[in-house]
Amino acid sequence: MGVHEIKPGDVLLAVEDISLSFGAVRAISDVSFDIRKGEVRAIIGPNGAGKTSMLNCINGFYHPQQGTITYKGQKRSAMKPYEAAAQGIARTFQNVALFKGMSTLDNIMTGRNLKMKSNLLTSMIWWGKAEKEELEHRRFVEDIIDFLEIEAIRKTPVGRLPYGLQKRVELGRALAAEPELLLLDEPMAGMNLEEKEDMCRFILDVNDEFGTTICLIEHDMGVVMDISDRVMVLDYGGKIGDGVPEEVRTNQNVIDAYLGGGH
Amino acid sequence: MFYREAGQFKSSYKEDQAVFPILQDRIGIAILLLVAFIGIPLFAGDYFVGAIMTPFLILALAAVGLNILTGYAGQISLGTGAFMAVGAFSAYKLATFSIALGGAEATLPLILTILLAGVVAALVGVMFGIPSLRIKGFYLAVATLAAQFFIEWLLVKVGWFTNYSPSGVITAPPLVVLGYEFHTPAEKYLFTLTFVVVMAMAAKNLVRSHIGRGWMAIRDMDIAAEIIGFRPLQTKLTAFAVSSFFCGVAGALWAFVHLGTVEPEAFGINRSFSILFMVIIGGMGSILGAFIGAAFITLLPIFLNNVPPMIGWNIGVDMVAHLEFMIFGVLIIFFLIVEPHGLARLWTIGKEKLRTWPFPY
Repeated sequence: MGVHEIKPGDVLLAVEDISLSFGAVRAISDVSFDIRKGEVRAIIGPNGAGKTSMLNCINGFYHPQQGTITYKGQKRSAMKPYEAAAQGIARTFQNVALFKGMSTLDNIMTGRNLKMKSNLLTSMIWWGKAEKEELEHRRFVEDIIDFLEIEAIRKTPVGRLPYGLQKRVELGRALAAEPELLLLDEPMAGMNLEEKEDMCRFILDVNDEFGTTICLIEHDMGVVMDISDRVMVLDYGGKIGDGVPEEVRTNQNVIDAYLGGGH
Repeated sequence: MFYREAGQFKSSYKEDQAVFPILQDRIGIAILLLVAFIGIPLFAGDYFVGAIMTPFLILALAAVGLNILTGYAGQISLGTGAFMAVGAFSAYKLATFSIALGGAEATLPLILTILLAGVVAALVGVMFGIPSLRIKGFYLAVATLAAQFFIEWLLVKVGWFTNYSPSGVITAPPLVVLGYEFHTPAEKYLFTLTFVVVMAMAAKNLVRSHIGRGWMAIRDMDIAAEIIGFRPLQTKLTAFAVSSFFCGVAGALWAFVHLGTVEPEAFGINRSFSILFMVIIGGMGSILGAFIGAAFITLLPIFLNNVPPMIGWNIGVDMVAHLEFMIFGVLIIFFLIVEPHGLARLWTIGKEKLRTWPFPY
């Protein structure tokens, strides 16, 4: 295997020349970029630029036709999403993808499923092993609930929660898996200013306290420029800019793509 | 007024995770169990115990099984009757094998026979659950419908399943556990009750474990479930297996304890539908709902048969049968539109209201 310890600053995930197309539609063409351990990496771009497709490639939901993805120094073959999850990649979705019929607590508990080992029989009996395991994970999940300040809604079915809180619960569910790489797909879409500030604080805290590497897609430029270490810009499936926020801000291609000038 | 959780503080997650975290619920369930285990067998007549309570409990068990599959895992199944039939007939085959092996004495204990019959039903369930990875909703319902017709046909067609009985009817061996024979309706009722209570507890434990959360996750949003690490095929097949196990045990009990003799037609498409109705009316995604639904569906015909004559309104038997259909039809439409979570949800809402009663909030 040769998996060596990855220190902060080393490349955690490298994407090399990947291309993804659906029939004749090219969603991503020859994009390379990397995500370093411990950083907040942003992917921005106009609508339809291929940002979400990129995340879907990273967590195994789409399989790019060309190119390689190297995660923790290991080249990945086509893998199923649950395999990516097992390797420590968690994500949230652009449209909240919570389990509507379940409570906040249960939703976050589902994030722990890969770490729960009790089988059918011990779960049926419950007393003993299954209960002990359940309580251990409950304790961990309660820490996340505290961290995200959602104690009051822990028993509420998530379908009844307002949008901003649902997004927060979804972040909690992703955090429950103790991911190494956390993919956030527009974590602040549709939020008001206060909710955005809260979410920024959570993202930075996660990055800071747990050392989780974060890759996020966001349209709010103020947020992106403030919280991310490096930014990649996609347009029509191709990469048009990459670098620290200042570089990207002054990149002529990026300005053209966003303002529609120069074409 | 008395149903308050105010002042009942939980100081550990263990207390908070309990099945019945509220004291009043615990008292209520204890009373219910006392009545079921002691009151009914002591004071109720043979007819009530044998012809109402026992079938009610067995059907409730089947409804719990279907609820695991449909209510929790979101996979619609119309093959419940078939899985019950598999349970009934494999229990019969196992029992006759074990009698044949041991001379006159059965070598396989009865309880083990019934559980193994459930396991056989689980395997058959898994087999018919495989298409669920590719097809969803109505199409899956049709696939399970195929199971229903195929298994019923197979049991009639292949003589081996009935030990070549010319009428196609199987006769169950006497109910003997550790040398004690369960003979009277009350004894048979207690036998069933024990089975049902233990298995309902197991089902409750299962649905609040990580396995149950996996089922619900697949039900609510299968793509998100897969991305956070649930394996769709495995999760769905587990649901099919557990559900069919419950249905199989219910079928075995139906054949061995309730009727004593059984033919494949007893587990026809009508049985599948009536159990699906129990789940819909009682409440999808609720173990309690399976019991409420089963009670409702078994008791309503009896109610319709007995109450109108009591109040001096003589309606014919055919009229009662028609009324039954009409009431079920209306109720199913009502519940599907107004309250998909069924009577169990109404019960929960009632309890929530009671907490603050008589104040509005």
